[in-house]
Amino acid sequence: MSNVDILLVILRVSFGAFVPLCFIAVLVWMERRGAGFFQDRSGPNRANIFGFRAAGLVQNLADAAKLIFKEDVVPGHIKHKFYFIFAPAIVFFTAVASFAVVPFADTLVIGDKSYVMQAIPTDVGILWFLALAGFAVYGIILAGWASTNKYGMLGGLRAAAQVISYEIPMGLALVSLLAVYGTVNLSEMAQFQGQLLFGFIPMWGVILQPLGLIIFVVAAFAEANRTPFDLAEGESELVAGFHVEYSAMKFAVFFMGEYVAMFTSSAIIVTLFFGGYQIPWLNTETLVVYAKPVAVVLMLLLPVLMYYFAGWIRKSNVSHYDRPNDPRRREAAVYIKILWGVVAIMELILLAILLSPSGGVATRIFVAELQIATFLLKTTLMCFVYVWVRWTLPRFRYDQLQKLGWQTLLPLSLLNIFITGAVVVAVS
Amino acid sequence: MIAELLFSVFAVLAIIGGLGLVLARHPMNGAICLVMTMISLAGLYSLLSAKLIFVLQLIVYAGAIMSLILFIIMFLNIRKEDLPKEEWRWAYYLGGIVVIAPVGLLMTKAVKALPGSEASIMGNGFGGVKEVGVVLFREWLLPFEIVSILLLVSLVGAVVLAGKRRVEQ
Amino acid sequence: MSAKVKVVKRKGDTLPEKLYLVEVLKGMKTSFGHFWRNLRDNSRLYVRHYPEQQPEITPRWRGRHRLTTHEDGSIKCVACFMCQTNCPSRCIMIEAGERLDDRDEKLPVRFDIDLLECIYCGYCVEACPKDAIRMDTGIFSLVEHNREKMLVGLDELAATPGAFTEDDYQKRGL
Repeated sequence: MSNVDILLVILRVSFGAFVPLCFIAVLVWMERRGAGFFQDRSGPNRANIFGFRAAGLVQNLADAAKLIFKEDVVPGHIKHKFYFIFAPAIVFFTAVASFAVVPFADTLVIGDKSYVMQAIPTDVGILWFLALAGFAVYGIILAGWASTNKYGMLGGLRAAAQVISYEIPMGLALVSLLAVYGTVNLSEMAQFQGQLLFGFIPMWGVILQPLGLIIFVVAAFAEANRTPFDLAEGESELVAGFHVEYSAMKFAVFFMGEYVAMFTSSAIIVTLFFGGYQIPWLNTETLVVYAKPVAVVLMLLLPVLMYYFAGWIRKSNVSHYDRPNDPRRREAAVYIKILWGVVAIMELILLAILLSPSGGVATRIFVAELQIATFLLKTTLMCFVYVWVRWTLPRFRYDQLQKLGWQTLLPLSLLNIFITGAVVVAVS
Repeated sequence: MIAELLFSVFAVLAIIGGLGLVLARHPMNGAICLVMTMISLAGLYSLLSAKLIFVLQLIVYAGAIMSLILFIIMFLNIRKEDLPKEEWRWAYYLGGIVVIAPVGLLMTKAVKALPGSEASIMGNGFGGVKEVGVVLFREWLLPFEIVSILLLVSLVGAVVLAGKRRVEQ
Repeated sequence: MSAKVKVVKRKGDTLPEKLYLVEVLKGMKTSFGHFWRNLRDNSRLYVRHYPEQQPEITPRWRGRHRLTTHEDGSIKCVACFMCQTNCPSRCIMIEAGERLDDRDEKLPVRFDIDLLECIYCGYCVEACPKDAIRMDTGIFSLVEHNREKMLVGLDELAATPGAFTEDDYQKRGL
């Protein structure tokens, strides 16, 4: 193993491990500020460090500090302490581990070697996600059962029944998708989606399998126990469901696990249906050939975007009441300076790309970075859809939930398999 | 080297899980031990580079079936009073060991006597999704379909039984 | 007996409504409209930036109590115990003493209100024959670090001014 090999292994594994963790903060922030804006309020905007509020991100630090220093209670009536403590770890671990098979860039070719850009370069792909999604149920069941609490028990039962029954439409939606792509490997699926349909439409899963997308997204929402399917923790009837008895960091681990699961399923949805890391109309080979024009366009585009973004910051980061010598304006000025600095650094990097020989290692790495950025952007947008749905739709009733799963999604996904099978056979 | 180490770890875990399933008093402990065995078996499959079987073991056995079993245990809400009093359990253990020991010794001898006991990893693509699929649907199509019909029959049977009881009420 | 039966048509029977997905998208469009409007211009949020921007209190609002005084500064209360008797939460504790000015016979030497017990019902104000206790201070946020500080005494009650003019207070229309 050469140094490059080792470096890339470290990079890929740390990407697979740390990106979901970093996204917890982003998603919690997005959820709260998003909820605020959806409901015409402003969300957390007071917590600060020396007056810097980072648009409310500092609130996460405050919450983390609170949760870390809270007393970690294990109620006296709990008989199976091991399961009680083990359960949140299962939920969190399965969520993080299921991200490991998601490719975040096309296979990187350096010299004569190629590196699959996944944390675990395995070709079981989507099956790994399904396996770990099944394991997440254990965390919920054990948490609900070990709590020895009516609400916890009912919440755990509901969550488990829900996840088990929605795994079926999810798996069946995947079957038709696999028939289209002809592989279970997520990397190959993403490469497949770089092609063009009829020469001008990106061959994304959403265009080939619209019904599959709907079924899969609904099932993924149910699997992640998010609204409108979050009746496992329906606070009006079950207080908090399976995590009533949990406090402090044990609760925080559940909470973070939920957000990691949301991030992972967004990443999976993006990879399966929205082209993964593919930039529409620019697949990897095209990008490598046209790396320099793309870099020039980016160099021109970045300052323009930054100019408007700075204007937006200046407009929104103000106090909306009479305040002499408004500190928020000063805060905004600092943010804008920092962001211009970041833009300047990025311009320098792009300049370096322009000056480097085309088609070389630098170009390949540049393309990989572009694809990582695209992938993260798409995943963030999908996470926003999760937030968006949560603050729009009311919760289902339990019988409605099961009816939707078994009587609507299951037949629909079977129908989808037949149609897809017929079309695939006819076309090939 | 690493493979052998992993093999020993998975094998020991699988056996511990199996013992736990038999010996544990509380059904929940038994079920979790069984999950452990299932996962260790999946690890053993992956060491044999049987990727599809590895994932299927995780999805079907460790994931779906065991979570249903846990689900049922959770429904039953078993308390300590509900468990049977096993006053003679140590006698049963002893008797079990006495019965099993000669069989076990015989089995070990038989396995050791097998030709080609030093396992080597199979060639490229063995046990992958595609390879298993090709074999399954080309050479073993008829048994595969018959097994699926068998499963369908049991599925319909279960539905019929569940429906009948409701009508009688 | 023929009751009048009005048949109301059940809504949600059309196909797009039964599909549910169309309605979901409609709802998401509405909520995204709100999000986008607030993201572009957050000055139009329907919020009050509370500690800096205080809400407007009307004269009818029952805030913390105060004891009113005559023009010369002597207290109006005559320690008749009407408020204490009438108080449903028994949070008023009066101790009467002899009054030496010619206005009346008694005056309170101790007039404690336990604000943790008080339910802000305003019965004391209604019961008072002398208009000596009012709840027009406009104070609605009471926070202290210990329970003892929540017990306000005569001096503090008499020292707090009313938040409204006499005219506005009289017109509050109770």
